Amino acid sequence: MTPAGTRELEQLWRESTPRVLAALVRRYGDFDSAEDALQEALLAASRQWPAAGVPDNPAGWLLTVASRRLIDQWRTDSARTERERLLAHQTPADELVSSPVENLAVDTDDSLSLLLLCCHPALPRPAQVALTLRAVGGLSTRQIAHAFLVPEPTMAQRISRAKARLRQAGARFPLPPAHELPGRVAAVTQVLYLIFTEGHTSTAGTGLLDVSVSSEAIRLTRRLHRQLPGDCEITGLLALMLLTDARRAARIDAGGALVPLAEQDRGRWDQAQLAEGIALVEAALPSGPVGPYQLQAAIAAVHAEAADAEQTDWAQIEALYRMLARLDPGPMVTLNHAVALAMVAGPAAGLAMLEPLLADPRLRHNHRLAAVRAHLLETDGAPEEARRAYTAAARLATSIPEQHYLHARALALRTPAAEPDPARRT
Amino acid sequence: MKYVILIHSNPDPWGHPTSQFTAEGRDVPAEQHEQMDRDFDALLAEISASGEFIIAEALADPASSTIHSWSPQGSTATDGPYAEAKEQLAGFFLIETATRERAEQIAAQFAGPGSTVELRPAMWSGAEDQ
Repeated sequence: MTPAGTRELEQLWRESTPRVLAALVRRYGDFDSAEDALQEALLAASRQWPAAGVPDNPAGWLLTVASRRLIDQWRTDSARTERERLLAHQTPADELVSSPVENLAVDTDDSLSLLLLCCHPALPRPAQVALTLRAVGGLSTRQIAHAFLVPEPTMAQRISRAKARLRQAGARFPLPPAHELPGRVAAVTQVLYLIFTEGHTSTAGTGLLDVSVSSEAIRLTRRLHRQLPGDCEITGLLALMLLTDARRAARIDAGGALVPLAEQDRGRWDQAQLAEGIALVEAALPSGPVGPYQLQAAIAAVHAEAADAEQTDWAQIEALYRMLARLDPGPMVTLNHAVALAMVAGPAAGLAMLEPLLADPRLRHNHRLAAVRAHLLETDGAPEEARRAYTAAARLATSIPEQHYLHARALALRTPAAEPDPARRT
Repeated sequence: MKYVILIHSNPDPWGHPTSQFTAEGRDVPAEQHEQMDRDFDALLAEISASGEFIIAEALADPASSTIHSWSPQGSTATDGPYAEAKEQLAGFFLIETATRERAEQIAAQFAGPGSTVELRPAMWSGAEDQ
């Protein structure tokens, strides 16, 4: 037994969670009750370890306690089935409870199976996200609810419904057949990317609830990359996350305002993380089929390699967006492509590329199109049109810092001679 | 993305479900009400199972509200309803969907006789990375 701080403890049991859960599911079969039992074991650990010290084999401890809970539950559950009763009866309790620690050696397939199960196609996306964070990430329901700004009972219900749905769908723990694997892994990468982009990160405070869900997504993607190092899109996704996350400190200024890429203090970018991301994407690109995550990571790497905004290699970025538009076409890709094209061929070329998007119903409620147009119009020397576009973008924005930023840009373009802002007319 | 579905209605007398208490709702035959209730229950079951449903509240009669207004001298309280609103807020649902299209699809099914449904995105304090 060794003493440990709360952070270390949390780190420890989150590392152990998927291994212990996989061992429980493999041994007892029922994902739903195994997951509940593990949550109870984690709760017990959070009560006992800080005072009593960490056991020498934390994963083994968790497995033993969770196994006991499972068996207790079987014994007291009046609705238990005949099969369960027989199993519990025929197997001596000691045998069920003893934890053959050697079984806990990191089993790549088990931990991957668990991730695939949580991202099962029978589950809707929010359920996949929640279940992955709890069962694979080892976060508590409370932490997940906090990160996604949802009441805790709502999140608890989302998780229990997800588990019920897995049971109904007959989802199985063993790895799916080889021909299904690429599609299932692709779903996992989408879930991990969603966790990375949508989790609410509290930057203040060091309380237990303030987990960074973005960091959690990186941790899980890193583990997946270790398991499937040959999958270039997983490598690309990890690189993309690292390169994006490295800019986090520079994205918001001291007053909480949004700082656009060109104006960010590059000295505040995390150089070690950038270097790791660049190395990953450079290794992935030549070695297999190129996918959207690799291309987006490559674009982020070009930005990272520029000493300042002026030295950005926009020609290379434009070429990468052209490839991305072929591989994964969509209005958002066109939008970003237009920005890069404008940097290479001038704002008029960018504005021309945006033209067809103005009628695209998918962007009707999206502020980004108006924001990009505003920026290009401003560069093109059309301040009045730019101001109107900034105002339109601000109206559509649902992010408070982005809305502030867009209002500020519109305000900066107001000349004394200009007409009063129609938004302010009452 | 999170969205609120705001139900604006003037049931008289005030009551829930509002469609039972509006003039338009009274003109609808009983069988159609029953069908609408079944459809609505199915919708709620669907968005609960998918995790898209977050929270909902039906609101009491606007006559039971208190209006607090601010002035430099301090705030004053008067009895409701809020006079400037023509149609009253009868209830709200908070949902979370993957796309705006999905939110619209859900909100459309909330429209009932004598009520107007408004879908509004919720603001958030984070920002997308460019």
